[in-house]
Amino acid sequence: MASQGGPVAIRMRNDLGDLSRFLDEVEAFCRTQGLPDEVARGLAVALDELITNTVTHGYPDGRQHDIELHLEVADSRLQAELVDDAEAFNPLDHPVPDTTLPAEKRPIGGLGIHLVRNLMDDVSYERRDGRNHTRLSRRL
Amino acid sequence: MDIEQSAVGPVTRIAPIGRVDSYSARDFESRLMAVIGGGAAVVVDLERLDYISSAGLRVLLLATKQARAQNARLALAAMQKSVREVFDISGFSSIFEIHASADEAIAALSSR
Repeated sequence: MASQGGPVAIRMRNDLGDLSRFLDEVEAFCRTQGLPDEVARGLAVALDELITNTVTHGYPDGRQHDIELHLEVADSRLQAELVDDAEAFNPLDHPVPDTTLPAEKRPIGGLGIHLVRNLMDDVSYERRDGRNHTRLSRRL
Repeated sequence: MDIEQSAVGPVTRIAPIGRVDSYSARDFESRLMAVIGGGAAVVVDLERLDYISSAGLRVLLLATKQARAQNARLALAAMQKSVREVFDISGFSSIFEIHASADEAIAALSSR
């Protein structure tokens, strides 16, 4: 397995219509690094959840913005940093949902962030110079 | 995402292919709810689904609630490993009737 790859930058607009193309590029990077499919797809789901939150709630000005992702394989880790200029949002502040409730009582909110935290080994967040920096990492 | 649909006796099989992400989940929702609205027994065949996010889980949750409300039957089948992981983390594996293959699910829903 490759121990070193990237960094690469992948960008998308704050438009969920651009998400599929963006995730294609993320998965393509993972394939060129020889990463297992479930690692690539786990990362893609985590990014989908974070970006969907950002695009849906983070831009009350209604204008076009760019979201940037830096991807790297280093030190036997897949590392991703998502940078956006949306309103401050710390995914680590989110409460953990009760995943044991029956279907009828199950709220869907909060599940996305729960997925992010469980699909990745480490999640960290920083607000810096008016931008959200969300870092994800998974051991390889 | 593409969606394949077929009728097998009394059962409708609906197969999302590729990724159900937060964008394509909208298409998936309208197709799946239309099938359930028809009152059929429904098998959601996940064999060629590579990926599902919480938006897709939400659609399946809505669908199963709707099916129960109208006494229709809904089962999932043939989950890939990466999709199974998302179900397990979410606690969704216990909510649904899940079969190893579409054929097994169709047989189960046909015989009741």
